[in-house]
Amino acid sequence: MIEIQNLHKDFGDLKVLKGVDLSIKPGEVVSILGGSGSGKSTMMRCINGLESITKGKIIVDDFDVSKSNDLREVRKRCSTVFQQFDLYPHLRVIDNITLAPIAVLGQSKEEANDKAMELLNSVALGDRASAYPSQLSGGQKQRIGICRALAMNPSYLLLDEVTSSLDPEMTAEVLDILKILSKQGITMISVTHEIEFAREISDRIVFLDEGRILKDLPKDDFFSESGGKSDPRIARFLSKMGNV
Amino acid sequence: MFDLSSMTEYVPAFVEGFIVTAQVSIVSIIGSFLIGVIVALMRVSTNKALQFISLCYVDLFRNIPFIVLIFFSFYGLPEIGVYIDAFWTGCLTLSVAVGAYVAETLRAGIINIDKGIIEASKSFGLSKFRIYQKVIMPIALTTSVRPLGSVFINLILTTSILSAITLNELTGASKIIASTTFRPFEVYVFLVIFYGILTFILSGIIAVWHRHLNKYNGVA
Repeated sequence: MIEIQNLHKDFGDLKVLKGVDLSIKPGEVVSILGGSGSGKSTMMRCINGLESITKGKIIVDDFDVSKSNDLREVRKRCSTVFQQFDLYPHLRVIDNITLAPIAVLGQSKEEANDKAMELLNSVALGDRASAYPSQLSGGQKQRIGICRALAMNPSYLLLDEVTSSLDPEMTAEVLDILKILSKQGITMISVTHEIEFAREISDRIVFLDEGRILKDLPKDDFFSESGGKSDPRIARFLSKMGNV
Repeated sequence: MFDLSSMTEYVPAFVEGFIVTAQVSIVSIIGSFLIGVIVALMRVSTNKALQFISLCYVDLFRNIPFIVLIFFSFYGLPEIGVYIDAFWTGCLTLSVAVGAYVAETLRAGIINIDKGIIEASKSFGLSKFRIYQKVIMPIALTTSVRPLGSVFINLILTTSILSAITLNELTGASKIIASTTFRPFEVYVFLVIFYGILTFILSGIIAVWHRHLNKYNGVA
């Protein structure tokens, strides 16, 4: 369970999040939508402590993100896939995936390697285990990014605009993998601009606007005329994203 | 007349000096690297006191001529009861002085690392130590290794100043040979060759290290 209570985040004078309340139950797939500058990514970054919290609270499975002793536990449970992939450029694919499981979870090298190979095979990249990230395409890098996150056996998978740096073809190959994952019961929180993808995988859609949650609805309600679309701000957003 | 054969009987003396220079260089390269790593980490730390101390260190030792430093430690320190022989005075002073340059070179490598990569390692729960050990330092070294090579070659060249504190390394030995043979031209031809050999070896090592560290991005 992730519980976000009255979350505020300021950057100097700029108030990015102005009191967000959100709770995510195990197994849920939640998509966060919203225009740029609405605070989506900042909220994600607060969940695993990459941004400090100005006011409010985030509790992940009884662990408080803002307590440094708890943060390590939070980070063990939440794995992030990043927009810019952010793979370790100096490490081979396999070592990118096994670094944290060995260093943080204390897995043996063999154990971590076996798991990594299993994950790599599941994204059809088993033959690239000893390649360096610079030798891979963007789509391949992001599939490695997903493997790296899953290798931690996370309870929660945080997806921060994972296809925004990819062309449509590569976007499809990454989204296909995420669709399969979303059916396997892992809790997913996804910030995305892929409305169709959000509609397909999500249980719930949360719409952020100017640092506040404008709507938090089950998927079908969100996309219905009487539900989310009844809000002019959301209707405008959806039509702008090519979804009428 | 130019006559290299007149140097034959002095070759052992040259070699002796060469060995001293090589020893001082190796010890000082290791010493300055260790100091440089520590100071660079202090420079990039979030702790204001550590930042300040390391900044003072770097500014201080980059702004004093080496010959002044070495006179201070060899002739000055004994006045307050610190006695170290010429060899170790040379090694320690070189390590401390060059450490400042190593620190700046490494710092440049560290601050140029894509922040996203460091955040990714944080987000997976890696400890600070592990992040430095497994992510930051290896990446920083890949870009710093070339400039670091220049710093270390400079270190080798600077060892010649240690002749001023009675250490008979290459330059010191050559001066003695030149003043006994009255053949400065031949002597300094030898000297040039010996320094050339040392710096050539170091350049080779740096090139191999650079290739090894950068194999991931295809830069050779």
